[in-house]
Amino acid sequence: MTSLDRTGTNLINHWQRGVPVYRASVITPTFLFCGALVAIGCALAAVRLFSPLGPFSGMNDAYAWGIWKTFNVMTLTALGSGPLALGIAAWVFDRQKLHVVMRTALVSGFLLYATGLIALGFDVGRPWNFWNALLPWRWNAESAMLEICICMPIYVAIFLSFEILPLFLERLYYTGSDATRVSLRKVAPLLRRIYPFMIIGAYVIPLMHQSSLGGLLLLAGDKIHPLWQTPFLPLLYLLAAGLCGIGFVTFLLLIACLRYSRALDIGVLDELGKLLCAACFFFLAVRAGDLIWRGQVHAAFALDRMSLIFLVETGLILVPGVALLFKVVRVTPRSLLKVATLACLGGMYYRFVPTTVAFHPERQRGYFPTPPELLMAAGYIALAFLGFGLAVKFFAVLPGDTHGWNNKFRSLRLPRWANRHEGNPLPGAEGETA
Amino acid sequence: MSGGISRRQALLGILGFGGTVAGTLAPAAAAEEHPAHPVAPPDAVSMLYDSTICTGCKACMVACSEANGLPPDTSLSGGLWQMPEGLNAKTKNIIELYKEPNGPEFAYVKRQCMHCLDPACVTGCPFGALKKNQWGAVTWESSLCIGCRYCEVACPFEVPKFEWDKWNPKIVKCEFCFDQRLLEHMEPACTAVCPTGSVIFGKRTDLLAKAKERIAASPDKYFEKRVYGEHEAGGTQVLYLSSVAFEKIGLPKLGSTSLGHYGTKVTSVIYKWLSGPIIVAGILGAVIKRNWNRHEAERPEREKKSGFPDQL
Repeated sequence: MTSLDRTGTNLINHWQRGVPVYRASVITPTFLFCGALVAIGCALAAVRLFSPLGPFSGMNDAYAWGIWKTFNVMTLTALGSGPLALGIAAWVFDRQKLHVVMRTALVSGFLLYATGLIALGFDVGRPWNFWNALLPWRWNAESAMLEICICMPIYVAIFLSFEILPLFLERLYYTGSDATRVSLRKVAPLLRRIYPFMIIGAYVIPLMHQSSLGGLLLLAGDKIHPLWQTPFLPLLYLLAAGLCGIGFVTFLLLIACLRYSRALDIGVLDELGKLLCAACFFFLAVRAGDLIWRGQVHAAFALDRMSLIFLVETGLILVPGVALLFKVVRVTPRSLLKVATLACLGGMYYRFVPTTVAFHPERQRGYFPTPPELLMAAGYIALAFLGFGLAVKFFAVLPGDTHGWNNKFRSLRLPRWANRHEGNPLPGAEGETA
Repeated sequence: MSGGISRRQALLGILGFGGTVAGTLAPAAAAEEHPAHPVAPPDAVSMLYDSTICTGCKACMVACSEANGLPPDTSLSGGLWQMPEGLNAKTKNIIELYKEPNGPEFAYVKRQCMHCLDPACVTGCPFGALKKNQWGAVTWESSLCIGCRYCEVACPFEVPKFEWDKWNPKIVKCEFCFDQRLLEHMEPACTAVCPTGSVIFGKRTDLLAKAKERIAASPDKYFEKRVYGEHEAGGTQVLYLSSVAFEKIGLPKLGSTSLGHYGTKVTSVIYKWLSGPIIVAGILGAVIKRNWNRHEAERPEREKKSGFPDQL
């Protein structure tokens, strides 16, 4: 089953199912650092509950949307679109190899979406009026903002939550009492019966709101530079979400497996690389076609400030696209990590620029986030990071070797080691060192 | 069936109770909600501001603040008199001065909400806090506003302002004195008080005709011999005449297509009759069902081979 590749690392077919990270400690310096950021973020959030948006954030009437919306929501939910992009690849296009990485995609997607929604909650000025969302006759149906207000919470609260439910049930099954197991055995078939219907919603809903995020910017009209303002914004935002989703899951898998010294699976990575390559070229083809159709090619190569910003963006997506055409790049973890990072940056760049750098109101007034605004944004990201770190340790999220795990879970009461007195779970577990 | 209702249907359909609710709402829909070039209804009220007549006395600013109960913005004058930097959360109406940097050319310009025929802010507002009210006045309803500030991003004239320094912030913009005066059958405070007649109130059709008469009477006086607001962003209910270029006095150069049309023309087709999401869900559902069934059929064999239960 395992064989050696050129670099001597075990690379072949190691990802068979989700396996919890067993031996790494929970309390690490990274954990403490993220915890501190989250604590600062929470403290500032408490201040924000009583503070107006004005001096607290750097937002103003010209730049009414700050980084909470433009980065935490617009940009980071693109990174959180792994469940959408990979789910469609796995269940619709039947890329069966990808089933094993779905849990990583789902957990990261859930965390990025959930923190984005929290960011949105603290960003809106009159959150108490949000209950109008419960009264459909008050909805302004043509507003892209409405769709996001309704769709995103539903997606997180119902569909993503449903998709990560098996993680909790699985843990409960293996750690719970016999009575729990009996009842869970009854729940499992039910879950499997509604699962295919739920994933239809789990793909249709984000297809709607990820494109609506681009649709939002249509009404901004001429305020957005012509290189970015196009009727194709909804489609491009959706494609960028797919690109970021695939890229970020690849990035996350490689980083996490590196961090916890897990063996890799070159077959799955090759598959992810191919998908990422296709996503890059699909995005670039639509982008180029749009610029040609609108006659804006000259603006792209004018070599002024906005043109350079555009060229950097294109380069960040084109370079990984071309590199991933070569199998040697896709099957070398080190180079795959590099190109996946570039692709993520490119996609994020595209999602971030139209609302900030390329957003030029008539009455120019600068915007730069204030320290509390930045710290809260960092707090949301740290919260997602922290959540992911805990998830991989307490749940079977990260893909791993089947024979490295005998269905034991880290105990909640012993945060440092799982069942230390019982020894290590099984000798086959590839060195998950702290 | 309009694009607007159809997106409502789409959302409700996804929630699973689309048919009944959307069915009751369907008759309310008009032919096309966002034509590229909207036509003003006959009762649309209007303001005509002629920059060549205005003397910059700012009586309209004081009258506006008084009628709307706004505190004077005295921050620039050291607390002495009303002196706002521009439209802001305390200022719904302002007279600004344009002066040519090295030349004699100058002009006053009155800024307030343009009351677009198809306002981008109304199209974008998620719960309809901003709406096109009677006579075409664009008004704001506090109980429906979540403070998302999409109106500020969408408005091409950058009119809506947000009370950044309030815990319970409001969107502040000219509402044509709708509650204060229009409903009482009075004209807005600014037009009522203007001593020179540089800003006047009337029906849009009448004022547009009047503006064109003025241009015809002295064609050389007016910039481009046209009325700003007749076609800009699909047409506005506030009309401008100026001898100085409109862009110079802060009226942006805009196309004649309404932003609402531009922003909804594609989505209104995709979401029409819920068709887009239903078709996508149908196609995805069919393929997923097939793949799922195969996945489930192969499950026992897979579990036997790997020796662990299948993970979802």
